[in-house]
Amino acid sequence: MLSAIGTHGPTVSPTTMMVLNVILFIIGAWLLIKPQDGKQTWLWPLLVLASLASASRIAMGFIPNVMPVTILAVMVGSKFGAQRGFAFAILVTLASNAVLGHGWWSLFQILGWGSVAILASMVKVHDEEGILSMSQLAFASLWSVPVFSIIVSLSIIDAGMSPIEFGLYLVNGLLYDLLHFLGNLFFAMWFGQWFERLLNMNQPHHQIVQQENGHVSTF
Amino acid sequence: MRVATLFLVLVLFLPLAQATTESSWTHEFEDGYITTKPLIVDDSVYVRTSGFWTGDARPVVVAFDVQSGEEHWRFTSQTSLQHDMAPLLYAEQGSGDCGSWQDLLIVGWADGKVTAHSTKDGALVWENQTEIDQIGITGSMLIEGDQVIIPTRTGLSSFCLADGEEILNVDVGFIGWRNGVTAIEEGFVFGDESGNLHTVLRNGSVFSTHLGDGKIRHAPLDTRHGLFVHLQTEEGSTLFLNGSVLASVGQSPAIPLMHENRIYAATSDEWISILCDEDTCSIEATEPFHSNGELALRIVGTEIEVWAHSNTVSGGWGIFNQTAFVRMENSLFNTYGTAAPGFGPGVIAYGNDAGVLKVTSESSEPLDEEKTSVNILGGIHYAAVISLFLFTCWSLAHRDIKQLAKVGSAFLLLIAIAVVPELSLKLAEQTSPNGEAEWNPSWPDEWLGTQVIVFEIDGEEHAIGGLDPQQTVYDLTMIACDELGIETEIEQQYFGAYLVSFNGSVGDGWEFTLDGSRSQVGMTEAQLNDTSIVEWRPA
Repeated sequence: MLSAIGTHGPTVSPTTMMVLNVILFIIGAWLLIKPQDGKQTWLWPLLVLASLASASRIAMGFIPNVMPVTILAVMVGSKFGAQRGFAFAILVTLASNAVLGHGWWSLFQILGWGSVAILASMVKVHDEEGILSMSQLAFASLWSVPVFSIIVSLSIIDAGMSPIEFGLYLVNGLLYDLLHFLGNLFFAMWFGQWFERLLNMNQPHHQIVQQENGHVSTF
Repeated sequence: MRVATLFLVLVLFLPLAQATTESSWTHEFEDGYITTKPLIVDDSVYVRTSGFWTGDARPVVVAFDVQSGEEHWRFTSQTSLQHDMAPLLYAEQGSGDCGSWQDLLIVGWADGKVTAHSTKDGALVWENQTEIDQIGITGSMLIEGDQVIIPTRTGLSSFCLADGEEILNVDVGFIGWRNGVTAIEEGFVFGDESGNLHTVLRNGSVFSTHLGDGKIRHAPLDTRHGLFVHLQTEEGSTLFLNGSVLASVGQSPAIPLMHENRIYAATSDEWISILCDEDTCSIEATEPFHSNGELALRIVGTEIEVWAHSNTVSGGWGIFNQTAFVRMENSLFNTYGTAAPGFGPGVIAYGNDAGVLKVTSESSEPLDEEKTSVNILGGIHYAAVISLFLFTCWSLAHRDIKQLAKVGSAFLLLIAIAVVPELSLKLAEQTSPNGEAEWNPSWPDEWLGTQVIVFEIDGEEHAIGGLDPQQTVYDLTMIACDELGIETEIEQQYFGAYLVSFNGSVGDGWEFTLDGSRSQVGMTEAQLNDTSIVEWRPA
């Protein structure tokens, strides 16, 4: 099912794509609505960050693999948990691909960023008090790349692709993975704390002050 | 708040770093061909039509705004009825012994007239008449001092740029066609339809040399080893250097050009690069190509591009470097053609035998303002890299780890953005599997050594080879489909150009193999060699 641009992925008809998008949107909405343990006020921060991630992904589309989506998926997953993190991945992918182009890859991008968010909910970048750890975030900049990259690359596999061809495809993408990592690191270092404030935007003021006062970068 | 502002600025303004202007316009002349190079001067593009005129249709010279395509002025000749092959000539304002003149567009006509027009409004400043023998001026003219030197049908004339007064008139007794003139130390040289090379001294004396039986249809090139001439003969063509045969090549030679120590020529069979070293000139490289008209030279940075119009039904322009074919430049109106493209700062003007003029502003060579803006962005990028490097060193020296993480990440990111795309392409070349496509014995032997492309559509195989060599799978696919009458539908998608259907057949998509292997890149990126075999099959 490879398509006309060489290594690509299956062709999905517009109807199938629309159905797929609707299903994904419903899943995303369900993940948002479904009650989850935790005391965080998550809705507005999540929507704001999803909008921010989508807009910046579109605006920075000309620099391949450099965008804040991955690092935001890490932070959202770590802060709000796997369920909300996956919902974040769905929202961002659907919204940004509405401009950049939907296809079979959309599903794998969702799985990629969703997996990053799920992993981040386990390997947290926030400490037990909910304070962002810059060193953990820097580390997440690194580990999130192969997770996302390998999952998205699975989208090109079809019956006719040999393991060697897939391996070569991954090797060819290594330099762009490096770019992805450096982009993640850049956004983490420069905007990590600001993203964190947005994540905490609906928290009671005294709690934020407490966190700010208590914050010492652990990098 | 500061971080928010920085993020906003980054998101909103970074796209400007790749902002490219790629505007284009076309003008289709109702009658005639465009057989000579459009001329770009300042903010105008000047073009002339050519043809065998009957009824009310007549040849024109038109000036357009180079950016908008708006017509500035138009001059119609009521008397020129044959093919007008003399390239337009621009004379910058100046003064000399015979007077002063404004910016002029000099036009030589097939009815023997020479007209000089104001570049501003096309007003006729002066005109004069040269000898005709059924036809008049068809060769390239030149400016020397305060005169315009014109190869006439039977000789050479010169006219004062200020008022058009004839200064020199020489009849050599032989007729010429596209007999462009070249200035040399002694005077002027041009050829004729009988294989003679004529040197006209500035005092009017004439010396003629018979090179051989054939036709000299270009301005001779003045090399350091003597005059270079590409003589068209019955069997093909012959290259002459300083009166001696250099080589015999294909038929219907193009108009050669010289740049530095190289001569570029072409025929119906090949494109030729001739190197002139300390001792002599000799052919260094040839490429299969079909070009019979004007060649043009374009300098892009430190690279040179030689453009040759492919005079075939598929048309387009072959672009070569000093020794090899580089790529094809195609347009939606490809067809036969002999006119070289006209080049201006960031602008290319294409004309062809369908009478279509297309003017594009190129992204790779932006207009002055854009070039300035790109230079500024490049400068900012460079300054940012240097500043971040210094700042990184400073942070390291002061062991400010937090600061180091910030500036270091920005520094590395900027470096990576600059080098990764190029490195990645190199890596892809290195890791491409060396598959072998199978030669089909049923294919004609003429296809051996050429690019071959196969389409399997609805269970039927369509194959074609022996086409002009193309640079990418996309280029070859388009030209082959054109030749085979296969309709294609292409969309621009997230991953790049996406081939939707052949002859309306979408199926589950289409895949191609290049020399038996799947490509690691898309069809617009997949590079071909001269003997590549591309196969398109349903996915």
